[in-house]
Amino acid sequence: MIPLSIWDKFKKIKDDGWKSLLKQSTDFQSTYYFNEKTNERFGFHFYATLVDEQIIQESALPALLTKKFESLDDLHKIVPIADIHILKNPKDIEQKLLNGYVLVTLDSDKNRFGFIAAQKEIVRSLSQPEIEFSVIGPKEAFVEAIGQNLNLIRKRLPIKELISQEYTVGKLSKTKVAVLHIEGITNKDNVDTVKQRIRNIEIDTISDSSNIVELLSDNSNSLFPQLLDTERPDRVAAILAEGKIAIIVDGSPHVLIAPTTLIEFFSAFEDYFLNWIVATFFRLVRFFAVVFSVLVTPVYVAAMTYQYELIPPDLLGILVTSRRTIPLPPILEALFLELTIELLREAGARLPTKVGQTIGIVGGIVIGTASVEAGLTSNVLLIFVALGALGSFTTPVYKMGNTIRVLRFPFLLFAQFWGVLGIVFCFCILIAHLLRLTSLGRPFLAPIYPLRLADMKDTLIRTPLQKMSKRPQVLRTQKPKRFNKKKAETPKDIDE
Amino acid sequence: MQSQTIPNNLKISPYLVFYVIISMQIGIGVLGYQRIIADYAGHDAWISILILGSYIHLVLWMMYKLCEMVNGDIITVHEFLFGRFISKVVSFAFILFYIIYLLSFILNFIEVIQIWMFPDINNFVFSLFFLLLSIYIVYGGLRTVVGICFFGTILPVYLIFTFTFTLKYADFTHLLPIWEHNITELLQASYHMSLTSVGFEAILFIYPFINKPEKSKKWAHIGVATTTIFYTVLAIIAFSYFSKKQLENTIWATLSMWQMVQFPFVERFEYIGVANWCLILLPNICLSLWVASRLLKRATKLKQRKGAILISTIAVIIVTLFEKGVDIESFNNIVEQMTVAFVFVYIPLLYCLSLIIKKVKT
Repeated sequence: MIPLSIWDKFKKIKDDGWKSLLKQSTDFQSTYYFNEKTNERFGFHFYATLVDEQIIQESALPALLTKKFESLDDLHKIVPIADIHILKNPKDIEQKLLNGYVLVTLDSDKNRFGFIAAQKEIVRSLSQPEIEFSVIGPKEAFVEAIGQNLNLIRKRLPIKELISQEYTVGKLSKTKVAVLHIEGITNKDNVDTVKQRIRNIEIDTISDSSNIVELLSDNSNSLFPQLLDTERPDRVAAILAEGKIAIIVDGSPHVLIAPTTLIEFFSAFEDYFLNWIVATFFRLVRFFAVVFSVLVTPVYVAAMTYQYELIPPDLLGILVTSRRTIPLPPILEALFLELTIELLREAGARLPTKVGQTIGIVGGIVIGTASVEAGLTSNVLLIFVALGALGSFTTPVYKMGNTIRVLRFPFLLFAQFWGVLGIVFCFCILIAHLLRLTSLGRPFLAPIYPLRLADMKDTLIRTPLQKMSKRPQVLRTQKPKRFNKKKAETPKDIDE
Repeated sequence: MQSQTIPNNLKISPYLVFYVIISMQIGIGVLGYQRIIADYAGHDAWISILILGSYIHLVLWMMYKLCEMVNGDIITVHEFLFGRFISKVVSFAFILFYIIYLLSFILNFIEVIQIWMFPDINNFVFSLFFLLLSIYIVYGGLRTVVGICFFGTILPVYLIFTFTFTLKYADFTHLLPIWEHNITELLQASYHMSLTSVGFEAILFIYPFINKPEKSKKWAHIGVATTTIFYTVLAIIAFSYFSKKQLENTIWATLSMWQMVQFPFVERFEYIGVANWCLILLPNICLSLWVASRLLKRATKLKQRKGAILISTIAVIIVTLFEKGVDIESFNNIVEQMTVAFVFVYIPLLYCLSLIIKKVKT
């Protein structure tokens, strides 16, 4: 094993121009060896940082040195690695090398190039889902490596119909994006739309799947996320089976799901692990929490500014007493508290966990009590704002939680303009906007509008699994039935 | 005869016609129609509502017949019967009709808001905001407009339950003796009920957008029946709750009934009711705007986007000119005569005419 040549020597040998740029990187290595049997000279070129040296040392190199190696076609025979390509086009060299292949050149066969796969995958171990944590149910979450994520999904859906098609997005980042669907179930138009849109993406780098969300969204100016992202393989598997499409982006631990609906953002995956009555109860609680969280401060501002007659005398007494010494008008008081909460949230999110917790306690308790004692805000409003903040954090999908937090500010402004009328007006705007939103061209408000009563089984309520024997109609799947309902439930007579 | 071809993905499902009809029929009139009809037919006025309701079913049936004849909207009907020139003239008449219709909603709603909530709400600002929102909705196409009709019907349904609060104080003997008034009085009341009941004529314009229109017939009639029953029941509740003298002095009977509603956390429910009416009026205004701009597009080739803006601008200007002092009552009378003439007189005449012309042509 004598390394024969270094770059200077290599340069003299007449060769193609493919190496000129590559050699500028110091981690690019290029070595020449002689085969023991035939005395043929062959070259070994690779990025040391991209390949697994163990594969080269233990399988590729010994085989090439000791076994009979006459032409590049012999690679298939003598190297014990499955992923071997022999290509003619020098243009492929760069791409393959950068994907972690080892280039094998043979002096007697200069027009062809052999490639041996030796990718080094740096993966972190599986961890628990952090954003979509569930007390019961599977505890694995996606990681950054696309291969591992695919593995997690394939293990849950071991069927050949699960099709994964890969695309490369980003001129510089060359990010791998895989589109997954189940052949024979998923609507073909939806799949084509996703593929078409991914192919049409013009961008230089993709840092995370969130970038893909923004680029695929029907309306990127909307406050609402139009693709669902999840870190749970179990959720992706279940949703693929429902007839939706999953998009995995290399380097992102969040897998995207399309098309989606507004309702889906409020359903936690844990709902399916709980008894359906409990799950329905939790969903309703979540729904009221969100409505409360958006409306409570605006209603306070509206009532305190204009329509105080709205509030019964007994309750009004408490409100007026708490506001007696407060110098600020209700809107400023409310904005002050809302912004305080936003500050706390933002500070907590940017700091390391332990410091963040301390800030939360200091901010929440100290600032809250102090501002009430100082007479800047009323304690009733403090309770409302705190409850509202709590409510907004109940949304199971993080991005929707952010939306809910921002949503209250337009409501606050309109409440200041026109009181209760302004709140209803703002609500009309919200509905109009949601009506116009689509996800992959499918209505975002489904199954409420267009009304699909059959799909209502899994919205604000969650009916028993056996009742949900049909896939959502909105998706127009190729197989509307999930399983045979009659087989699933055979009613028994008494004492049988 | 060239009928428009509408791509299927822009069409609406037949059952949605139900919501279109209801949301278009229920508008601003509901807030105070009880006094107006009671002026003519007293406590028997609920019979007038039923009479009008049956007549509406007949007119609706004729409307469907007319549209089915040409498989298009009312403009196509005119083109078929009288030629292109007349159809253009009629288009402009309808555009004007819908602009006035739209204005009557905004003006009356502003009046209600001024009397019940904000005495000094600005006509200009309010109409501007409201029409901007309507333009946004109309830009989403008919599907979005119908979506607003859907939510404008579904979400305020809870208001129905608030009327049960008055039942405690209702005295149904007020309704007796039944049929105390003669038929002329009853018909007079029906006539004055008509402004509150119109809106269903929108079907003439959205007909080409309905997927399988023959299936929507059933839903349209169910819609009309629902509103008729709702109006009748609400009138009966009002007649039994208010005494005759009281009702004479109550302009907004429906709103006044809400003053009885009490919850542990809400004292004056009529505020919520009036604010909620925003959502009930929105479909009326949006669909009117959509129809007017659509007709403008068909008549002049002006882009519907621009047409909607043009019509809204005109509306905002007129509403601003109507600052306090201008008599809304007389404006409403004009609107009433206009709608009665169009919906209840012209359409049946047109239907009869179409039968004759069809006979002659074949």
